[in-house]
Amino acid sequence: MVYVVALFVLADVEVTRGEGEDHVHPLAHVSMTIEAARATVVVGPSGSGKSTLLRLLNRMEEPSGGQVRLHDRPLPSYDVLELRRRVGLLMQRPVPFPGSVLDNLRTGAPALREDAAVALLDRVGLPESFLPRDAEELSGGEAQRVCLARALAVGPEVLLLDEATSALDPFAAQVVEGVVRGLVAEGVSVVMVSHDLAQAQRMADDLVVVLAGRVAASGPAETVLADPAAAPYLRGAS
Amino acid sequence: MNAAVPVPEWWGVALAAVLIVATAVVALRERLGLGRDIAEAAVRAVVQLVAVGFLLRVLFERAGIPGSLGWVAGMVVLAGSTAGRRARGLPGAVRAATIGIATGVTLTVGVVVGAGILEAEPRIVVPVGGIIVSAAMQGTTIVLARLRDEIASSRQQVEARLVLGLPGRAAFAPHRRLALRAAISPGIDQTKVVGLIALPGTMTGLIIAGVSPLTAIRYQIVVQYMWLGSVAISGLVASRLASRTAFDEAHRLRPLAAAPARRGERRRGPRWRDTRPGPG
Repeated sequence: MVYVVALFVLADVEVTRGEGEDHVHPLAHVSMTIEAARATVVVGPSGSGKSTLLRLLNRMEEPSGGQVRLHDRPLPSYDVLELRRRVGLLMQRPVPFPGSVLDNLRTGAPALREDAAVALLDRVGLPESFLPRDAEELSGGEAQRVCLARALAVGPEVLLLDEATSALDPFAAQVVEGVVRGLVAEGVSVVMVSHDLAQAQRMADDLVVVLAGRVAASGPAETVLADPAAAPYLRGAS
Repeated sequence: MNAAVPVPEWWGVALAAVLIVATAVVALRERLGLGRDIAEAAVRAVVQLVAVGFLLRVLFERAGIPGSLGWVAGMVVLAGSTAGRRARGLPGAVRAATIGIATGVTLTVGVVVGAGILEAEPRIVVPVGGIIVSAAMQGTTIVLARLRDEIASSRQQVEARLVLGLPGRAAFAPHRRLALRAAISPGIDQTKVVGLIALPGTMTGLIIAGVSPLTAIRYQIVVQYMWLGSVAISGLVASRLASRTAFDEAHRLRPLAAAPARRGERRRGPRWRDTRPGPG
């Protein structure tokens, strides 16, 4: 018998911005489950609400209706700072902080030892010699890998990636994908937003298709790829 | 008060208005769009100073120290409202500015008067308090406007720290330090060159009133240090309060409230640029 472990459960989640006649619904009536220790890829056209969906999972965004649960507990019941250490986020564009690479790695983990920092760099394919380098002088691909290592330094159980490879050269994107696969193999849950269907097919255990703020289809990748509700987008994107 | 002090007659004051005409001519010729502001400023300066002159005479002769402190408190409220409005869009800016200025002024004036360095007399508390309130207001204006600009331009940097589990206060600390530095640094520069480029106001006033320059500088040094102290303390308090209200209870950066740009604002460059005069 196979037990499916629900990591996140979203129940009738709605996000509203603005007031009166100017209000918009980036997300409406979203109900879905994200399972633990799997790579869940969220795909959809630009402006469909993918990033908003991702940011709900670490409370960088708050639903205006419905509920998001983690391990069957409402997100607001967690200490929000602890939640963000457990649910890390890698942004679309690298945001290196002023200072050395080591300073960057210690931002969320001040007690990080130097040998652990070297191991993190190794994990993202960067040599030890990067530790003292000025993080703001790195190339885009190097900086994004440092940002990935910085997110991992906190030891998250879930890693969210918001189109984290879209601004990278193919080699750096490949490295990030490799790290993500390794994390999933170790039991870390990954939820990544992508507009690249080929990447989604490479990476996804589970696939979520978001269209105009609604979940058109979600579930195991092979099921969603055959789902007629997602077909118009999947055909258009492929 | 001192009959020996050479003071301009009213006809001389009226004649000095030719310099306002010169200012207006520059504004008109260069199409700065400041003609109305210049006229308003010139008229307001006369009306306000005449009113203040009458009020101060009453204050010095009848109100004593309680009245003087009330006067300074009134200046603090007005300064807080002015500095806060300059940071339009920043949540809680007026409150942060008012508390910041009140703290800076209370501590600096309190220490100097409490220690007996300056006497607790209305004719000292009111003008020195005014100088210090003005310094605190200008420093706080820079701090809050810069904080607002940092929020607008560095949201991604702040969020990149928040997603690592840092509280809003810590995520915003580098930006708050930049704002505080921007407010304090000009005061340090002015203190370094005080007396070399221009004689500051307090010292000038005392010299005109017949006080020996070597005596006048003692006063100026105290005022100069109070100036720096009030900017630093006011800026620190205001920036901490504003940083706190910039985040919601889930440590998310609040959106800046939309504020219409004032006429000519864009052409004036960054709103936190320091244009203040040195201490009086």
